[in-house]
Amino acid sequence: MKPAAFDYLAPATVREAVDALADTSRHAQVLAGGQSLMLELHYRRSRPDLVVDINRVRGLDRLDVRDGALHVGALARHRDFESPEVAPGPLGRLLSLAAHHIAHPPIRALGTMAGSLAWAHPAAEWCAMAVTLDAGIELRGPTGARVVGARDFFHGPHLTARRRQELITAVRLPLLGDTTGIGFAEHRRTQASFAVIAVMAALTVFDGVVTEARIGLANAAGTPVRAYAAERSLVGAEAARPLSGPPEHHPFARAGGIAAECDADPRARPYADVAYQRQVIAVLVGRALNQACEDLRRLSGGDRR
Amino acid sequence: MNIALTVNGRAHRLDLEPRRVLADVLREDCGLTGTHLGCEHGVCGACTVLVDGEAVRSCLLLAVQCDGRSVRTVEGLAGPDGEPHPLQRAFSAEHALQCGFCTPGFLMLAAGALESDPTIAADPERLRELLTSNLCRCTGYEPIRRAIQRALLQDTRKPPERSQTGSTAAIRPASPDQL
Amino acid sequence: MWHGWTRREDERLLTGRGRYVADIVVPKCLDAAFVRSAVAHGRLREVDCAPARRVPGVIGAWSAADLPDLPAVPRAALTDLSTPQAVAGREWPSLATDRVRYAGEAVAVVIGADRYRAEDGAAEVGVRIDPLPPAVSTVEALDGSVTLFDGRDNVALEGSAGAPIDEAVWREAAVVVEARYRQQLLLPSPMECRAFLAVPEGGRLTIWCSHQAPHRLRDELARVLGLAAERIRVVVPDSGGAFGSKSATFPEYVTAAFLAVKLGRPIRWIEDRAESLVAATRGRGQDQRVRLAADADGRLLAFELNIDADVGAYPQLGAGLPMLTASMATGAYTTPLVHATVRSVLTTTTPTYPYRGAGRPEATYAVERSMDLLAHRLRMDPAELRRRNLIPPERFPYETPTGRRYDSGNYSAALDLALKTLDYGRWRAEQAQRRAEPGAAPLGIGLSCYVERSGGEAAGLHEFAGLEACPDGTVIARCGTASSGQSHETTFCSLVAGPLGLEESRVRLIEGDTGEVAEGVGSFASRSAQLGGAALRQAATVLIGRARERAARLWGLPPGEVTWSGGTLRSGAGEPVELTLGDLVKATGPLRVDERIRAHTAFPFGAHAAVVQVDPDLGTVRVLRLVAVDDYGVVVNPMVVAGQTRGSVAQGIGQALYEGVPYGEDGVPLLRDGLLDYLLPTISEMPPLDMAETITPNPSTRLGAKGAGEAGCIGMPPAIVNAVADALEVTDPGLLRMPLTPDVVWQAAHAGEGR
Repeated sequence: MKPAAFDYLAPATVREAVDALADTSRHAQVLAGGQSLMLELHYRRSRPDLVVDINRVRGLDRLDVRDGALHVGALARHRDFESPEVAPGPLGRLLSLAAHHIAHPPIRALGTMAGSLAWAHPAAEWCAMAVTLDAGIELRGPTGARVVGARDFFHGPHLTARRRQELITAVRLPLLGDTTGIGFAEHRRTQASFAVIAVMAALTVFDGVVTEARIGLANAAGTPVRAYAAERSLVGAEAARPLSGPPEHHPFARAGGIAAECDADPRARPYADVAYQRQVIAVLVGRALNQACEDLRRLSGGDRR
Repeated sequence: MNIALTVNGRAHRLDLEPRRVLADVLREDCGLTGTHLGCEHGVCGACTVLVDGEAVRSCLLLAVQCDGRSVRTVEGLAGPDGEPHPLQRAFSAEHALQCGFCTPGFLMLAAGALESDPTIAADPERLRELLTSNLCRCTGYEPIRRAIQRALLQDTRKPPERSQTGSTAAIRPASPDQL
Repeated sequence: MWHGWTRREDERLLTGRGRYVADIVVPKCLDAAFVRSAVAHGRLREVDCAPARRVPGVIGAWSAADLPDLPAVPRAALTDLSTPQAVAGREWPSLATDRVRYAGEAVAVVIGADRYRAEDGAAEVGVRIDPLPPAVSTVEALDGSVTLFDGRDNVALEGSAGAPIDEAVWREAAVVVEARYRQQLLLPSPMECRAFLAVPEGGRLTIWCSHQAPHRLRDELARVLGLAAERIRVVVPDSGGAFGSKSATFPEYVTAAFLAVKLGRPIRWIEDRAESLVAATRGRGQDQRVRLAADADGRLLAFELNIDADVGAYPQLGAGLPMLTASMATGAYTTPLVHATVRSVLTTTTPTYPYRGAGRPEATYAVERSMDLLAHRLRMDPAELRRRNLIPPERFPYETPTGRRYDSGNYSAALDLALKTLDYGRWRAEQAQRRAEPGAAPLGIGLSCYVERSGGEAAGLHEFAGLEACPDGTVIARCGTASSGQSHETTFCSLVAGPLGLEESRVRLIEGDTGEVAEGVGSFASRSAQLGGAALRQAATVLIGRARERAARLWGLPPGEVTWSGGTLRSGAGEPVELTLGDLVKATGPLRVDERIRAHTAFPFGAHAAVVQVDPDLGTVRVLRLVAVDDYGVVVNPMVVAGQTRGSVAQGIGQALYEGVPYGEDGVPLLRDGLLDYLLPTISEMPPLDMAETITPNPSTRLGAKGAGEAGCIGMPPAIVNAVADALEVTDPGLLRMPLTPDVVWQAAHAGEGR
C-alpha cells in the first residue's frame, strides 16, 4: 500500500498554489489535511503527477466571523470546530456537535473542512453541513476567484464543481440567528466507522411556530442532501418537543418520513438496504428535530452562548 | 528532496522521494522501528507519533510535509536517563499490552493527549473518545484505559490489580440500578 | 535502570525495542509484492510481467509460467485436517496457473529494491482473466452449476460424528425445535499482518516469520523446496498477534523462500492490510441445520447438526475444522443421542483456516442458540433448562455420543456463578418491568454454557521442553511453542523458576527458533501452557533429580541423602556441604535435560452471560453487561489469563455484532476501504465485563492447566445473540444472523409487521 511516485510542491502563497495547479498537462492533486487523500494514495486509486501541499500557505488556517458568516480557511482543521466557541450562537453549537462525529482525534488534528468538501464523500458530515447551511465555497483559479453555493457544488460521489486548476480557499458558513435551535444525529455501526446516515437540523421558531427549517442528510444519496420537502412540511408547524420519540402524526415524524421518502435517494450498501436507510433517515430526522427543540428550550431558559 | 527532521531531539538531514510516508522514513531512514504499520490507511493507529506535540497518523503524512518539524516516537518517550515514562510503567502494571504491536501507537496517542490536557484521563467520555482512535486486537482495551488513568495518577508503585472483576461502570451501566 | 516491569516482554515492547519481522534489517534485502486476481473465478489467459521488469528498482517479476519449478502450497502436515483424498486433484499453486479461484489469489510476484518499487512493478503487470461464475456460498457451490476443479466436485470432505438418530425419536418427542444458523466468515486480523523474511546463506536458509508453529513451517518448506530440514532455520521474533491465522505455510511464503534461494538474495514479504483483507486466512464459515428434541420437562433427547462449511477455494486446514465442530456438538449436556454431519464445500473465496476458537465457536453456537429456542418453546427459564441437562460432576470422565471424552468439570457450578455474578434475577425483573412499560427500550438476557477442547488432537498432543543449567547459575529453558503475545517469557520462566527455587530473572526462555529448540509443535488450540508449560514443569523436576544424582556422586553419598532447596544442593548426611546449581555445573560439566510430554486433550468449560438493550427504531444493539465464568483448570498466571479472556471476549463481540465479509454479485469481497469496511471493535464497543472463574484441574498433567485463550470467542457470541433474541422475543432464528448489524436487528424487530 505504498503511494506511486509524484512530484511535490509546497507553495507559500495562494498565487503560487494556483500557479502550480494551472498546468493542465499534469494531474495535480491538492494536499490539505491529507487524511483522505493519503488513503487514496496508499490504495493507488489516486495517482497524481504532482502533489501541491498547501499546508505552508500563510493565512489559510484563519477562522473568523465577519459579514454575518464564519469564514473557514482551507486549512482550518476538524478539531478547530470541536468547541462551540468556534462561532457565535447556534452555528457554533451545531458545528461542534458534528465535529465530534468526524473520525477521531488524530484525524481531526489534520483533516480540514475544505478538504472534506473537495473530496465529497457521500458520508461526510461537512458536505451535508455545507448544503444545510447554504455555505459558499470560495474557489481560486488561474482566471480569478469565484464562489459556488453548496447546493451547486456537489455533483456526485467525489465529483464537485471545483475545476482541477482551482483551489478551495475558504468556506463561508452563514451564522444562524439566536432563535434557531440545532440538532445533530448520526447512526454508525461502530464509533470509528463512517456514518450510515447523519442528519443535521436547524429550526427557527417564532411564537412556538416553525418559521424556517433546515435539514441536511449525509450518506442518504450520492451527494449530500438538503431535505427541502421535509423542511417545507415543518414551516408553520408547532415546534413542540414530544416527550419520547415523535408519534406518527407529529410534525417531526412526518418530516422524517418525507425526508426519507421524498428527499433522500439512498443506494443499497452492505449492511443497509434502501428500506433500512429510509427508516434510519426518518428516525434520525425526528431525533435531530427533537434535539433542535430541546436546544431552543435551553436557549429560552436563558442559557445563551 | 532534502528535508530536515528532528526526531526525539536528534536532527536528521534526509534526501527523500516525496511519496514516502513519515512512518516508513522513521522506520527505515531513522532506524526507529518502534513505530509500526498496521493498516496504512489511517484506521488502526499503530503508527501514531507526535508531530510538534500533536498525535497524528504517521502513515497519513508524507515525510516531506514534516520538513523542519519535530517528531517524537515511542523511542523518545522515556526520560534521557532511560527512566520510563509514567505511561510505559502504567501499561506494564495494568497488562495493557499483549503482542505489543499496537502499543507504541496507543502510548503516543495517550502521551499527546495527556501532555496537552491531563484532565482527559479523569473524564471517562473524553478518554473513550480519544481511545476509539486506535485498534487493539489482544487486550479488549479496558487495561489500556486503566493504564492511562493510572499514568495520570503517576501511581505506579501499586501492584497490578489482580482482581478478576473489571468494570467500565463509569461509562455504561453494570447493573439495572445504574440504568 | 527501572526494574518494575510486570512482564519480561514489557520493557522492549514498551520502549520501541521489540523486534518484529519487518523491523529486522538485513543488508541488500529485497521486497516482494504480489499481483492478485481482482476476479473471484476465471480462466487465467495471460500474465504479462514484461512491463514490470522495466520499472526502475524492480529486480524481477514472475508469473507461474515463468517459474515452472515453483512448488505448490504444501498440504498441512498436521493431524487429519487436510486429508490426501481432499487435496488430490485440488492442488493449490503458489502462483495461479490456468485458473483463479478467489479474488486476491496471487498471479504474479514482483521483487523490488524496496516495497515502493515492488508495488510500482506490480501495478504494471498485465493480467487477463476470462471470468467464470463465482460461487461464494455453499448453496451456490452445491447446486452443480460451478465446479472449481475439473473432474472433481466441490465437496472436499464428508464426515460425521455420533450415530444417526432414528426418525421415531423426532416423531415421538414432546418438543422438537429446528433451526438454521450461519457462522459468517471472519478475518482474524492481528494488528501485524503476515510477515516473512528469507535469508539464504551458504546453502542454508534462515526464515524469520511471525508464526505459531515454526517447526512445522520449517518441515513444510524443507519438503517443498527439496532441502534437508536441518538446512532451514525458522526464527519467530516478536509477533504482532496471530489468533490462528499464522499457523500454516502460505503460497506467499513458498514463493518468497523459493525466490530467495533462486536469486541468492534475502527477500521479505511484509503483507499489507489491503492484501490481508482479501488474501489472508479467514475463519468460521458454516451453514448449519439443527434439530433438538426434548421431553415435556425439558430433558434433552436428541440433537442433530448438519454442517455445510464453506472452506474456500482450496482444501487446506480449514477443510477439516468442521469435523471438530461435529465432534463437539454434544456441548455441555447429557443429551443421549447426538449426530453431526459435515460437508466441507469448496467455494470461490479465500481458503479458511483456524481462527481463535476454530470449530468450537460453531459447535457452541449451534447448541446454545437451540437451547434458548427450546426454552422459549417450553416457556421455561433458559437457565433452568440448562441446569436440568448439564453433565453432572460425578459423571466425569464423560464419553459423549460424538466421540469425545470430557476430562473433568463442574458445569453447573460455572453456570451458578455466572448467574450470581450477573445478578440474573434482578435483570429478569428489570426486563419484566420494561415489557410492562410502553416505549421502554427492549432488554434481553442471554446465556451460553460452553465446553471446549484444548491442546489439539491426538497426533499433536505432545510438546518438547528442555532445561540447561549454566555455570553462572542461570537456567536456559527451551520450549517448542511460539508466543504471539501470550507472555510465554513471563509465564514459562516462572513455571521453571518456582520448582527450582530460583529467582525468575535467573531463567531465560528460548522458543520460536528451530535452530535452538530441537523440536516443537507450536502455539495454537490453547495448548502452550497446557502442554509446553507442563513439559517445562516436568523438565524442572527431572533437572532437580539429575542435579541431586550428580551431587551425590560428587560427595559419595546415596542420592537420597542430597536435598534441593532454593536452588542449592545440600548433603543430608555426614559433613554438611552445599553447592549451587551453577557450581555443580562448573564442577561436573554441562547439565541439560530434554523432556517430551504427552497429554490428553483437555476440555475447559464455562458459562457466559450477556445483557443487551436494543433500539428498535434503528436496530442498534447496546451490550449493557457481560459475564464470563471460565474454568481453565489450574491457572498459572492470573493476569495473563485474564488478558486472554478479555481479548477473546472482544473478538467474540466482534463476531456477534460487527465483523463480516460481504460479497458483491461478482463474488468479490466488498472491502474497498479496508478497515473502514471490515469493522473491528474499538473501546467504544466494549461493554463492562465481569470475569470469574472456577478451577477444575486437568487430570492428565501434573501442572493441571487446561487451555485458556479462546473462551470468549466460543461462549460469548451465542450469549449475545440469545440476549438480542430475548430482547426482541424473536422466535424465528433465521432472522438473527451474525453479525447482528443494526439493519439485521431492525428487520428482526419488525418482522411480521408486513414491511
